[in-house]
Formats: sequence, C-alpha cells, structure tokens
Amino acid sequence: MPDSAGARRPYLQPLSRSWWLKHSFFLRYMLREATVLPLLFFCGCLLAGLYSLSQGESQYQSWLAFMAQPWVIALNALVLLASLYHAKTFFELFPRVMPLLPAPLMIAGQWLGTLLVALFLLWLFGAIG
Amino acid sequence: MEKTIIIQRYNPEQDQAPSAKRYQVPFDHSTSVLDALLYIQQQLDPTLAFRWSCRMAICGSCGVMVNKIPKLGCKTFLRDYPAELTISALDHFPIEKDLISDMAVFLDHLQAVKPYLINDSQNTEPHRQTPAQLKKYQKFSSCINCGLCYAACPQFGLNPEFLGPAAIVTAQRYNLDSRDQGKAQRMPQLNGKNGVWACTFVGFCADVCPKQLDPAAAVNQGKVASATDMLISIFKP
Ligand code: SF4
Ligand code: FES
Repeated sequence: MPDSAGARRPYLQPLSRSWWLKHSFFLRYMLREATVLPLLFFCGCLLAGLYSLSQGESQYQSWLAFMAQPWVIALNALVLLASLYHAKTFFELFPRVMPLLPAPLMIAGQWLGTLLVALFLLWLFGAIG
Repeated sequence: MEKTIIIQRYNPEQDQAPSAKRYQVPFDHSTSVLDALLYIQQQLDPTLAFRWSCRMAICGSCGVMVNKIPKLGCKTFLRDYPAELTISALDHFPIEKDLISDMAVFLDHLQAVKPYLINDSQNTEPHRQTPAQLKKYQKFSSCINCGLCYAACPQFGLNPEFLGPAAIVTAQRYNLDSRDQGKAQRMPQLNGKNGVWACTFVGFCADVCPKQLDPAAAVNQGKVASATDMLISIFKP
C-alpha cells in the first residue's frame, strides 16, 4: 500500500476472561476481592438471627441451634479468616492512601485498634471478664 | 553462556496475530534485555522492530513484557532469568509491529489532565517554593511516561477510556504544586467515571513502575481529593 496510513494494521490484543490467572499478583487481588463472598453468608446469618428474635423465643432457639451446627461453624470460621485476610490487605493499603505516619506504625496501630474493639465487644457480650 | 529468548513477532503486512520466534543470545553479567534485542537485530534478524533511546531508564521508550511482567528493557537483565525468557509487546496497547506498541491512548489521557503548570497571575516574580511545598508533589514528579503501569492495569485493559495510573499521578503532581492554579480544570477529569473511581486498587502498577512512583497510592489519594472536591461543590452555594 502506498500511503503510510493505509499500511498500518495494528494488532488489538484481546483481554482474556482469565487475565487474573496470569500471575500470582492478580490471583492475590482476586482473593482479596472474593473475601466478600463468605461475608455475605455471615450477614445473612446475622439478619436471620435478628428476624428470629422478633418472632419469639422458640424461633430464636431454633436459630441458635442452626448456628451451632458444625457446617455453619465451619463456614463462619472461613468468614473470620477471609475477613482477617481482607483486613490485612486493607491495613497495608491504607497508609499508602493517607500517609500520615510511617507505614509500619500505621499498620500496627490499625491492628491494635481492631484488637481493642474486639476485646470491647467480647466484654460487652459477656464472653470475657 | 547463552540464553533462549522467545519473542512474540508481529508483521502487520503478513500476520493475522503475533507468533513466537526463538533466538539464542550470548550474555554476561551486564547484558540487559535491550542489549539482547540489539544483538538479535544486528546479528540474527534485522527485521526485528523495537523502541529504545537512552539505555538508562530515563526516556521510557523501551517498555516490553518480560515473562508477562511489564519491564524497561534497559533496566532488566538476562542474569535474573532462567535459561528461557519470553518477550512481547506491552499488554493492553495495540501492537504496530513486533515489540512496538501504539501508545496514542496513553498520550491522549496524559494530555487530558493538562500536565503543565497553570497560573494566570501576571506576577513576574519567581515563584518561591519552600522545601515542604516541594515535598508535597516531588515524589509524583519523576514519571518517565513509559506506560508500564498501563500494561499492568487490568482496569485499563478492560476499559481503555480509564485515565489510568500515570495520567492520574501527573494530575496529582500538578494539583499538589503550590505554583499551580489548574486544579479546578483537572478535577472534572478525575471525578468522572473514567477517572480515579474506575480504579479498584489492584496495585500492580506500583510494583512495575521503574521509578517507584506508587501510582496506585496517587490514584487513591486522588479519590480523597475527588471526594472532598465533590462534597465542597455540593455544599457551596
Ligand atoms: S507512573 Fe511509573 S510506570 Fe507509569 S508511566 Fe510513569 S514511570 Fe512509567
Ligand atoms: S532505553 Fe530509555 S528507558 Fe530504556
């Protein structure tokens, strides 16, 4: 082709659906984003618990029995792990967005805050002290 | 000592898609990927096309994918790779020929954020800046426009309209400069749906940036700025 514009034929690279399998960095990112899925289950449990409370004692007792089943406990343990992983990634990203103090200090501070809130809640609901 | 370099070749006059070609390249401790490409072009196959200029990580023209990770060819060394390595054109950009990408989208996005000082004052005095004012934007000012962060960004891959890491870094660089008054002109770009909010903090751009700019942090600091800007515009009479 004589004209240079007409001779151009750039190849458009397709983005495959599985782009996130390409390397471990994207996999870890997808894992971080996927931590919301188990959390949905936990939120469902919590809402069901609130609803059962409004329905009277027997309903609430059967919700408690549901929550005590091994598979529910196992799933909720997974929720906890997923949330902790998400917290870890979040706490590490936060100092980059709001660089107020040296990053390790901010990360430690956020974990400390989480611990304190957890302890407070455990105390509030009578699990400790 | 030799290594096998596999290059994704594409000749727009003949090929429908890129295909792999293998080359044996001698190397020593100081052989960069760019040196290897030059060796191939000069000794084995003069038709190989690629860009380069400074050989010292400052012009930003030698970006390629090395084993699927965006790298500057001149700042990447054969010694750090196993016996075989694969080189291809940067991801997410159209390929003109072999390792040469069409960077036009990237340059358009850069231009869209007005990457220059905007200052209407008629004051001819020098604009003094304190070290503290300099420090605010300095870390975002060393971008060499290599585009590696765009090749690393899946959001840009999915939506080429996304302003992308370097353009947002650059917008921040000027917004944070005490001599600049152009923030109001740049914010609409950053606030828009292809601005900072299209970023989901994948964060790979920060890993690949040869100047350690942390574009991901800049983008997400941009979110804070964007949110503040929107809130202010809501409450301003
Ligand atoms: S931000 Fe970094 S990776 Fe992106 S264009 Fe600038 S120097 Fe290259
Ligand atoms: S040749 Fe200039 S950055 Fe590599």
